[in-house]
Amino acid sequence: MIPITHFLAVSACIFCIGLYAVISKRNAIMILVGIELMINAAILNLVAFGRYDKADYGGQVFALFAIVLAAAAVAVGLSIILMTYRKYKTINPDQITDLRD
Amino acid sequence: MGFLSILIFLPLLAALVMLLLPKSAAGSAKYLALAATAGQLLLTGYLYVHFDSAQAGINDVNSFQYVEQLSWIRLQIGADKLLEIDYFLGLDGLSLPLIVLSAVVMLMAIGASWNVTKSVKGYFALLMLLNTAVMGVFCALDFFLFYVFYEVMLLPLYFLIGIWGGVRREYAAVKFFIYTLLGSVFMLLVIVGLYFSVTNPATGANTFNMLHMMNPANYGEESFFGWVRNFHEIFGIPARLIGFAILFIAFAIKVPIVPLHTWLPDAHVEAPTPVSIILAGILLKVGGYGILRICIGIFPDMAALSNWWLGLIGVISILYGAFNALAQKDLKRLIAYSSVSHMGFVLLGIATLTTEGISGAMFQMISHGFLSAALFFLVGVIYDRVHDRDIYNFRGLASHMPRYTVFVAIAFFASLGLPGFSAFIGEAFVIIGAFNSESVGTGLPRWMAVGGSIGILLSAVYFLWTLQRMFFGQTRFKGGEEWATALNDVTMREQIILYPALALAIILGIMPSLVFTPLNESVMRLVSVVSSFL
Amino acid sequence: MMNLLHISPIHASLAVLLFPLAAFLYQALRGKQDQSGIVGLLGILLSTAASAFFVFFPIWQQTPVEATASWFTVGKHTFSAGILLNNLTVLMQLLVCIIALPVHIYSRVYMKGDPGIHRYWMYLSLFCFAMLALCVANNLLLMYVFWELVGFASYLLIGFWFTKDAAVQANKKAFIVNRIGDIGFLIGIALVYAHMGTLNLSELFGKQSPLFEQIPLWHTERWMTYAGLAFFVGAMAKSAQFPFHVWLPDAMEGPTSVSSLIHAATMVAAGVFLLATVFPLFNESILLVIAIIGTITALTASYFALAQQDIKKVLAFSTISQLGFMVVAVGIGAWNAAIFHLVTHAFFKCLLFLCAGAIIHEMAHAIPAAAKVDPQDMRNMGGLRRFMPYTFILMVIASLALAGFPLTSGFLSKDSIVIAAFEWAVERGGTYLIIPIVLVLVSFLTAFYIGRMIFKVFFGKPKLWSDEKVTVFHEAPKGMWIPMAFLGLCSLFFVFSFNPISHQNAALMQGLTLLTGFQPIDSLHMFIPIVLITGSAIGWWLGYRWYVQGKYPFQENNAWVQHAQKQAYINEFYQFIIVRSTLYLSRGLYWFDHYIVDGLTNGAASVTRAVGRVSAWVDRNLVDGLVNLVAQTSYYAGHLLRWVQNGRLQNYMGFAFTMVLFGILYLVLR
Repeated sequence: MIPITHFLAVSACIFCIGLYAVISKRNAIMILVGIELMINAAILNLVAFGRYDKADYGGQVFALFAIVLAAAAVAVGLSIILMTYRKYKTINPDQITDLRD
Repeated sequence: MGFLSILIFLPLLAALVMLLLPKSAAGSAKYLALAATAGQLLLTGYLYVHFDSAQAGINDVNSFQYVEQLSWIRLQIGADKLLEIDYFLGLDGLSLPLIVLSAVVMLMAIGASWNVTKSVKGYFALLMLLNTAVMGVFCALDFFLFYVFYEVMLLPLYFLIGIWGGVRREYAAVKFFIYTLLGSVFMLLVIVGLYFSVTNPATGANTFNMLHMMNPANYGEESFFGWVRNFHEIFGIPARLIGFAILFIAFAIKVPIVPLHTWLPDAHVEAPTPVSIILAGILLKVGGYGILRICIGIFPDMAALSNWWLGLIGVISILYGAFNALAQKDLKRLIAYSSVSHMGFVLLGIATLTTEGISGAMFQMISHGFLSAALFFLVGVIYDRVHDRDIYNFRGLASHMPRYTVFVAIAFFASLGLPGFSAFIGEAFVIIGAFNSESVGTGLPRWMAVGGSIGILLSAVYFLWTLQRMFFGQTRFKGGEEWATALNDVTMREQIILYPALALAIILGIMPSLVFTPLNESVMRLVSVVSSFL
Repeated sequence: MMNLLHISPIHASLAVLLFPLAAFLYQALRGKQDQSGIVGLLGILLSTAASAFFVFFPIWQQTPVEATASWFTVGKHTFSAGILLNNLTVLMQLLVCIIALPVHIYSRVYMKGDPGIHRYWMYLSLFCFAMLALCVANNLLLMYVFWELVGFASYLLIGFWFTKDAAVQANKKAFIVNRIGDIGFLIGIALVYAHMGTLNLSELFGKQSPLFEQIPLWHTERWMTYAGLAFFVGAMAKSAQFPFHVWLPDAMEGPTSVSSLIHAATMVAAGVFLLATVFPLFNESILLVIAIIGTITALTASYFALAQQDIKKVLAFSTISQLGFMVVAVGIGAWNAAIFHLVTHAFFKCLLFLCAGAIIHEMAHAIPAAAKVDPQDMRNMGGLRRFMPYTFILMVIASLALAGFPLTSGFLSKDSIVIAAFEWAVERGGTYLIIPIVLVLVSFLTAFYIGRMIFKVFFGKPKLWSDEKVTVFHEAPKGMWIPMAFLGLCSLFFVFSFNPISHQNAALMQGLTLLTGFQPIDSLHMFIPIVLITGSAIGWWLGYRWYVQGKYPFQENNAWVQHAQKQAYINEFYQFIIVRSTLYLSRGLYWFDHYIVDGLTNGAASVTRAVGRVSAWVDRNLVDGLVNLVAQTSYYAGHLLRWVQNGRLQNYMGFAFTMVLFGILYLVLR
């Protein structure tokens, strides 16, 4: 039996990778990818903790929900990026500074 | 509205009208000024003729004449304190001659400024403001009112010197202003101190009324300037002495005394001729008047205590001024220093605390008033023509400008105290008073009188030397032919201005009673006030 | 008609001084239009008539009359102006009139054609007014007024030719030296007033005066000594006593007619008149001082007169010397003798000057303008006797009177002084005898120098003309020598005394009786005149021998002659010591005033400005700096924080995460 700690460690790693991507990448797509990674890390945790809810499988259910929602969010995100690209000809968030003072 | 108020505010009214004049009518400002001043002269003439010379004035309100007393400022301070400032005017023997003098000199000054071209309106308006202030100073009997007029005097003078003056006019104007202000600021402290010490016996309120300040009974016990049980000291000096000294210095700067005189030569040299006339003719007299009426009137005990020092300062001023006049190359500066010397006689006369000495001092003030005015005007005559005043640049003017020379010679001889002219009476009585001082016990040593008389000798020396250098000998000018054509003899206007001044000098020299009669009772009262403290 | 002649002497004497005053005012108003001087002449003529008939004769030897009007009041004292007529004052007034009248007549010719002649008449009338008023003034203050006015008139007349440098230097000098005396007079007045409370002469010295009652008592008072000294200083300057004599020789720069009236006969004698007037003030020690000063003056002036080459200077020093005689007479208490000599001296000295004027006038006319020869220098004269016989005779009469020969007025008056001096000295004995002996010596010298003048001018050969050209030089015009002749007449004995050898019989001396402190010594009245006459005769003989016969014993540059001619270098001494030191002092004081006193003022101003600058610096850099520091700090802090708010989501993210991390760490490590 694989102890829960291993799941959590993997999840933390994925989360960190995602976080890194979100903070440091200069490409909106890559940031989106990072967000997805972070969501996936969370999903992994949900699944891992799901073993303590064997009666309802609440973990797995939440994970499914999250996957669906993440897919929808990615779709929305990608479309925003696309629109942004059309307007600014770039998807580097640093260069989009219209709201800056 | 009494006579004195009209006298004081007539020029102010004229000034207001002037300011309302449209620019096109600015030229009529001088006629307005002339009319106002002439009106004042008539008014003072009326006052002089109707003056009752048996009334002494000084410290008794009932024997003042033309008294006007209105309550001006009544401010409730705290529960039981009332600020009591009156609009309080009155005339006695000390102020009457000075008022007449002021009117005459002012008229001369207006005449002398007939050719002013630089912003005429402002010039005459300032002159009229000055006129108001001067008259006010001589009439005011409320110390607060006095101070207001006293300070208002400075303002127009500052601008008159600073705008219409000579090359270094700003320097002179600032120096004059600050010097005088220095004195009067401290005076304000003493005024306030007196205010807190003196109560009006009628109302019980603290008062600025000078006549109440002259009565020892009105001083509160243990009050700051009080007479009874006064333990107040500043740096170990009794408060009353300090008060006297500060008031004295404030007025002495005006007189001026050595060593507080250095504003005077600069102010005179830089001031335009009419302002010089007013400065020498009236302003210096404010100092002497203040010492008599205020320093001696309010602090008679301290005057009796310190008259030795006053006399010493007087003698030093006489001799020092005379020696300095001897060293001058600039004619106007020479006359300025001679003013210092002649005003020294005023101080010496006051310091004698005898009737002869004080009468002599008053007479000297009157006499010096229009003589110095005439002298400055005469300097202005040649300065107008060639813009030079250096004694060594002129020679033999007597052949070239005979009439002018006659005027100068008369003015010079009158100033150096030739009998038959007014200055002689003044100086002689100061000297007589100074000798008399030892006999009546006011304690002025006789060497001071001798020192003063040496001043008379020196005044002959510098005036005659100047006559010899500038007017006699073969005609020779620094400017050559150009000057010779510019230096035409005195014009009609100049003669009209000069005649009254010199005529007055002669008339007063022959009939000194014209001044002594109204003066006498007041001086005797003043002396009797002081003599009880000797 | 007779009523008109009963004019009160007071009114008459007022008229006497008002005539010249009116003439002065009239001429002053007319200015240049009045050239003839007829008004001035008329004025003095009327004055003379009034003075003689309505003042002198009614008053002389009668009770004195006084009239006063209050002038002005100072304190409780009323100062009055008034006229006092007694023997002394009416005599002086008449004398002034009688001298002024011929001088006026003389001037009409003498000053003719001068471009400034209108001024001349004006000044002359002014002088006459002041001098006549001085004589009869009844109080000291009024006297002082006219005392200075005569000085003023004298100033104007000395500087009459004001384009001449020497003249204006001289009038300045005269006025200033006189001013020293005036100061003395004024101090005297002040002292008298301070102690006696009045200045009225009759109240002071009259019979009711406390002074009169107890003179010896008063004389012990210190102030009396000072007052006496002060009055004497006044008299010294006016009467040109040593060491104040320096102005008189220089005053000769004025027209000669003026010199004769003012600087010989009348004004300079005013000092002696003053001494006589205030005589009761003088105590013993002051009188001695007066006598000594008079003696020194008489001696030095006659010594200086010996070597002068300018004819007017000789006469000027002679005047000083004779004034010294008068002052000595006052000093020994015989002021009546002084006044007597004053009167006789006035006539003959005035005559001498008028004669000198006539000579100078003719010399100036005869010398071609280009020749640049001084018409007053005696070295250019000589042999004029033949051309100007009247002048010669008159001048000889005057000179004899000056030298004190019998039958002249000078003999009477001078002897009276010398005799009185001897009597006075014998009474005291010993060293006091020096004074009369010096006076005798001075008499000899006087005879010598005046003889020298006569011989140099009238004898010998003309220096500038050969005998043939007589036409260029002639007698003075009538208008000049007639007034001179009148004065010449007055220089003779019979005007004063019918006994030509006894001064005691002189009417004048009888009019001015006084009690002298010393006994008359009869033997002296014989002895002294004989000595004096002998000495004077020797003096003239010497003069004749030296200057006419050409047996002059001295070298050209004899030290004594030089010394006398340069007036013992007194002028130079004054110039270098007094005048220069005064000027240096004045310059020093001006330096002091300019750099120290004014420097202090300006220093105070610059210190104030410096303090202002310092405080401005403090204000800008410290006080305001603190405020700015706070502002800057918050600004930078804000700036720092603002950098966080850069709108970058990633940064926000990072921060948020970091904070969460910290939070976690905190929770973990707590």
